[in-house]
Amino acid sequence: MAWRKVASKDDLKSDEGFPVQIDGCRIGLYLVDGEVFAIGDNCPHQAGVLLSEGWFEEGVIECPMHQSRFDVRTGNCLNPPALEDVPRFEIRVEGGDIFVDEPAG
Amino acid sequence: MRGGQLLAASLVPTPYLTRGMIMTNVDTKPSNYSTFPSWPENNHEIPTWIYSNEQLFDREMEVFFGGNTWNYVGLECEVPEPNSFKRSWIGTTQVVVTRDAGNQIHVVENRCTHRGTPVCWKQRGDASSLVCPYHQWTFGLDGKLLGLPFIRGAFGKGGMPKDFDKSSHGLRAAKVVVRGGGIWASFGESPPPLEDYFGPEILSLYDRFLNGRPLKLLGYSRQILPNNWKLYHENLRDLYHAAILHTFLVTYGLYRADVEHLNDTPENGRHEYGKSIFSKKTRDQVNEAVHEMTLRREGQILNEMSMVEPEIEFDDGLTSNFNVFPSVHIQQHGNIFSMRHIIPKDVRSMELAWTQFGYADDSSELEMARLKQANLVGPAGYISAEDGEVLALIQTNVERHPDVLQPLEMGGRDINLPSDNMLNEDLLRSFYRFYRREMGL
Repeated sequence: MAWRKVASKDDLKSDEGFPVQIDGCRIGLYLVDGEVFAIGDNCPHQAGVLLSEGWFEEGVIECPMHQSRFDVRTGNCLNPPALEDVPRFEIRVEGGDIFVDEPAG
Repeated sequence: MRGGQLLAASLVPTPYLTRGMIMTNVDTKPSNYSTFPSWPENNHEIPTWIYSNEQLFDREMEVFFGGNTWNYVGLECEVPEPNSFKRSWIGTTQVVVTRDAGNQIHVVENRCTHRGTPVCWKQRGDASSLVCPYHQWTFGLDGKLLGLPFIRGAFGKGGMPKDFDKSSHGLRAAKVVVRGGGIWASFGESPPPLEDYFGPEILSLYDRFLNGRPLKLLGYSRQILPNNWKLYHENLRDLYHAAILHTFLVTYGLYRADVEHLNDTPENGRHEYGKSIFSKKTRDQVNEAVHEMTLRREGQILNEMSMVEPEIEFDDGLTSNFNVFPSVHIQQHGNIFSMRHIIPKDVRSMELAWTQFGYADDSSELEMARLKQANLVGPAGYISAEDGEVLALIQTNVERHPDVLQPLEMGGRDINLPSDNMLNEDLLRSFYRFYRREMGL
């Protein structure tokens, strides 16, 4: 495990995603009931669209382009047009700092 | 919160009255019907104005293609895999035939409910959704509106009103029935079951060779015919011309006046069929009457005689050609299986789209026979090229003289069907009796 600090918990808002990058890998951070979650930020339906720019509500991020929704706790895709899930990343919060497990490869 | 809900209700335009739906009421005659030129109250005089009257054409599209009819749109084997599609037509309305991820077939209008853009710009292909190129409104293969860019605006600005309802902006979907590998669609409010629409006679001819045995697409040809679409339907019902115009058929014994023929216009004149027994015995039999009638010349040999010597593949020896009005002529002739999709374009032109097919488990020899014989039909066919030539020239003349009554008196002035001979025009008289009843003319 290689943990990388990507943000402070203070950066996150309960109704917005927070985009970060680790070595070019785009990850969206989300706050659900005080708990932080991280999932892949690229919409599997359309390359180049960042999920974290979409509508975030009740633990679900909605793609701004075509409204596919993803559960930020699991990365599961909830409705088309996207058909695939996005990856989920392990998170550690220490002293207000958010660490993400560096993606393999 | 981000989003577009800041738009005041007063700024939201009144919702489209039609919500993407074209309403047709085929039961109501338009009040301007009296403005059509006259048509004698008999079965045997056909006025020439019907081939160039634009208002009549619009009404035909509404009644026959928008009404409670079933329209051929394609074969299942043309959308073979989940997430495949092909474009087709229901009259003048372009549609997309899709097979969704769950293997369900859908037929949706190729018209984005946002701005009217066609959402599908390819003839055939694979896709998991239909994306309009203009604003990327994205529809499922069942026509449901899945999403549109920036529905919630961006950075707190713009976006659709909060009460924008995606579920009421799907692509207009037709009712669909798949039978024997053929895909049938209807924009009507309450079409009858397909079986009832076909009626027992057409159904038995259809089920006889489109019986669920998997089909294989062999190819397409397409042609624009510069004539009114009714002239083509007339041509299909015109027995009189077959042995006279199509000398190729006669010369090579593919059409024989000495075999048993039966023609009728079932379902009160709506459809049409012709069937005859074509056996090896018939093919080889020498008959003096035929010899004289057809001017068959000895020694007229093709380099590739298998073109005109079909393999007998059905025990009943039946050759069947039938028309499921208004959209298709289905042909099982020799080893040719073809769908002739009749696609009106405007009052003076139509497209004829031929789909040649066989069975998926055909031997390679039989498949080759089908492919060879396909050269008999289609725009460059040995036989049917002539029909298009004739009809195009008719169109010019009937447009120039829209006030003529043309006689359909071969075989009498009334309607005696079924017919067991080719020297009558009963099928045509029957067609126009049906047509006038449906059109309220």
